[in-house]
This record gives sequence, structure tokens and C-alpha cells, in this order.
Amino acid sequence: MNFQSVSEPVARQDATGRPAPRISGQPKIELKDVSFFYGKSQAIKDIRMTLPERAVTAFIGPSGCGKSTLLRMFNRIYEIYPNQRAEGEILLDGENILQKSQDLNLLRARVGMVFQKPTPFPMSIYENIAFGIRLYEKLGRTEMDERVEKALRRAALWEEVKDKLSTSGLGLSGGQQQRLCIARTVAVRPEVILLDEPCSALDPISTAKIEELIDELKEEYTIAIVTHNMQQAARVSDLTAFMYLGELIEFDETNKIFTSPNNPKTEEYITGRFG
Amino acid sequence: MATEHIVTSYEDELKYIVRRISEMGGQAERMVEQAVAALMRSDWAMAQSVVADDLLLDAAQREIDERAIKTIARRQPMAIDLREIVGAIRISNDLERIGDLAKNIAKRVIAVHEHSQPMQLVRGIEHLSDLALEQLKEVLDAYATRDHRRALAVREGDDGIDAMYTSIFRELLTYMMEDPRNITACTHLLFSAKNIERIGDHATNIAETIYYIKTGQQMESERPKDDRTSSLAQTDMTMPSAPGGTGA
Repeated sequence: MNFQSVSEPVARQDATGRPAPRISGQPKIELKDVSFFYGKSQAIKDIRMTLPERAVTAFIGPSGCGKSTLLRMFNRIYEIYPNQRAEGEILLDGENILQKSQDLNLLRARVGMVFQKPTPFPMSIYENIAFGIRLYEKLGRTEMDERVEKALRRAALWEEVKDKLSTSGLGLSGGQQQRLCIARTVAVRPEVILLDEPCSALDPISTAKIEELIDELKEEYTIAIVTHNMQQAARVSDLTAFMYLGELIEFDETNKIFTSPNNPKTEEYITGRFG
Repeated sequence: MATEHIVTSYEDELKYIVRRISEMGGQAERMVEQAVAALMRSDWAMAQSVVADDLLLDAAQREIDERAIKTIARRQPMAIDLREIVGAIRISNDLERIGDLAKNIAKRVIAVHEHSQPMQLVRGIEHLSDLALEQLKEVLDAYATRDHRRALAVREGDDGIDAMYTSIFRELLTYMMEDPRNITACTHLLFSAKNIERIGDHATNIAETIYYIKTGQQMESERPKDDRTSSLAQTDMTMPSAPGGTGA
């Protein structure tokens, strides 16, 4: 891969010469030569990278560059569609989640996901949270109440909904619905949270609340976020990966990517010269 | 940049700011040249025109500031664009200060020539200004071509100006001690020399900004300074070594 550097040509590449940031936290997810195919078409090409624990990693790149596809590999949600195939290894705490023996329910409990559009279930706010918990744990009423409250507090939604827990989740505003989805994800105590453009359908105030939430959540969780909003990636993430045509072009500390990226392609994209 | 922005109005905004910086640079250069020429020739009219031109330079700096702030607010620039805009704000500030220093020299023209002073001293200041102007020209060229290596050379070249200023400082002290009637004129000349030395410092600041724009890295260590007048020992000042000195 062509990787240009102004000042530190060696320090920011891994052993194979690919882009790699200095990572201070423990590795949580490691990708080893990961590729992905939609039928015969290759959407992800041979990606190697490490997402550190309790940090936010943002994926940016033009539409169709493979960033959402890559995110969907982390909990193998792509498997619900036919003719899709992954290659390589994705290690979650050192274990390859792409191997056939992987329990997918367990994987999706460990790696939660929030989608672009809020997807509350057509049931009460309380049940939206409790439903997921019941899939994995059997709790008494009091314990369940505590878990629901804790999840809603964690998603900064409790104060707004505590008096109407029995009303439908569909009655909430877009921003509240998205925080409800985050609460639902958090309620099953995952280790990793995947956010696929979580704010693209939200107004600026709701977006700010979600961003504030991401900042708090990273103290406990490893977070990967796909966003088209460059400013949002710059604000919320610790590390940023720029992808183009299925390849990882540059992966570095967010501060570096948005002030002086090493690769001219990254610079052209984030400054609005192509995309 | 090799490629242009998708949004052409953004491209136009950035180009406008860069063009205005180049115009400011040309004007600042002219003001320094004219201020020193006015000092050499006791040309009061030319000095007045330098003072008037400073208003234009101040206005240009305010305009660039406003444009840059608007662009930041509207476009949220990233990477090279962000560095270009932050660089433009810094450079326009340095150029505006250079204009102030030229104006200050121009204001001293009458005061200096009300008193007689040796031509040799004025020549020293002219030579100092040649060095500073060369630095300024070089750094403006480095900005136009975004050549950070040339900018580095400008930064190194400031030592020559500092050394020459130190020598003029010592010489002026000698003349003042030789004949107290020289003190008023020599003090004005000393301030003029200091102003020119400061112009060299601003050229160095601009060089550092160009380096940042181009590389994204801040220049690190403090450059060694050859202007030692602020740290000259008391004995140095009372026992000048210049020819004709009367000693303590």
C-alpha cells in the first residue's frame, strides 16, 4: 500500500508496512487480512488493524467504501443475508469470531449494534429494554426494574421517560428513540458497541446528546462508529480509519488524521476534494 | 494543492485569503523599503506616505481575520485547509506588525534629521534593512511556493540580522558616549535598528508558519539568538570596544 509520511515514515506502520497508529489501550478487536465478498464482488480487501479496548474508533470514507460492511463483520450480522462470505480472522479478545463454531447469539450479546435509523420494537419503553435482557438472563421483577432503569440512565434517557415507561417506544422523538436503542444495546451488558451512522437522522441537539453519551460509554465499552459526518468523527473518536474502495488507506490517531494526515488520498477526502 | 474542492465557492474563499496575504506581503515589503529610504534621505513626504499606508495594511489584516473566521464557521476546514487558514491568520498578524514597525521608523525621520549624525551610522542601518528585506522577500516567496525548505533557510538566516544589530548597538553607544549631543539622534537610530531587527523576527515567525502549513509539524526547539544586546554585561556597555571609544 502506498503510505506517505512527512516526518515519521517508520513509526506509524506495522511490520507489513501498513498504516498503524500508536495504541495505548489493550487490543480488543484485531483484524488479520480480513476480506469480504458479496457474491463474487469483493467489498473489503485484506484489512489488518487493531481496535483498542475502551476507545472510540471511527470509520470514514465515501459511500460504498466498505465501512458499514466492515462494521457488520464484527458481530457477523451479515450472516442473515445469503451469498455473503468473510475471509481472514477477526479476533475478539484473541478468539477468532469468524470460525464456524462461534455461537452467534453469544457474539451478538458481546458485540451490540445500533443502526442508522432508530429501530424501537412496537412495545412499551420498559419492554424494549427488558425484551433483550430476557433472551440472555432470567431476572426477577425487582432486578429487571433495576436493570431497565440502569440501562436508561446509561443512555441518558431515564429522566425523560421515567414517568411513561409503559407507553410505546414508538411515541418517542427520533433522538429519544435512538437513545432507547442504545439503552437496549447497553442493557445486555455488551463489551463492544457498534454504531452505524447513529446520528444521521437526528437533529443537532439529539446528535449532541448521543455524542455526549458516546464519550461516557467509552469508559466501559469499546466503540466502533461509522459516520459520514467528518466533524462528528473528529469530535467523538480517539482513532480514525479512512477507507476507500474496500481498502484501509490510513488508520491513525484522530487528531493526526484531521490536522495532518499522512496519505494524500485521506487529505483529499477530508478536505472535500473528492468523494 | 493538486486537486480542487468539490464546492467551488469554498475553493474561491481559500484562494482569496491566500491572494490577500500575498498582497499584504508586497505592501509590507514596500513600506519597510520606503521607511528606510526616507530615513536615509530625510524624505519627510515619503515617511508620511508610509504612515498612511499602514492604515491599509491594518484594514487588510482585519479583513483576512474576518474572512478566515467566516470560513472556519461555514466550512469547518480540515487538515491542509485548516492549516492554511490558521497560517493565514498568523501570517497576516506578522505582516501587520511589520507595517507597524515600518511606520515607527518613518515617524522618526524628522526627529533624527533635526540632529546631525555620522553618515556611517545611517549606512549601517541601511545595510541592516537590506538583510531584513532580503529575509522578508525570501519568506514571501517561500509562502507563494509553499516551500518549507526555503522557509527553514530564512529561519537560519535571522542570525545574521541579530549579529549586525548587536554591532550597530555597540557602535551607537560609542557615539553617544563620545558626544552627548549625539544622544537624541542615536537613540532614534537605535530604535529604528531595533525595529528592523524585529522585522527579521517576524519574517522568522512567518517561516515557522509556512513550515507548519506544509508539514503539519510545529518547529521545535528555540532558535539560538545572536542579538545579545539584552544580555550584555554592564562592563560591556561602559567599555565599548569600537574605535574612538573613550572608555569608562
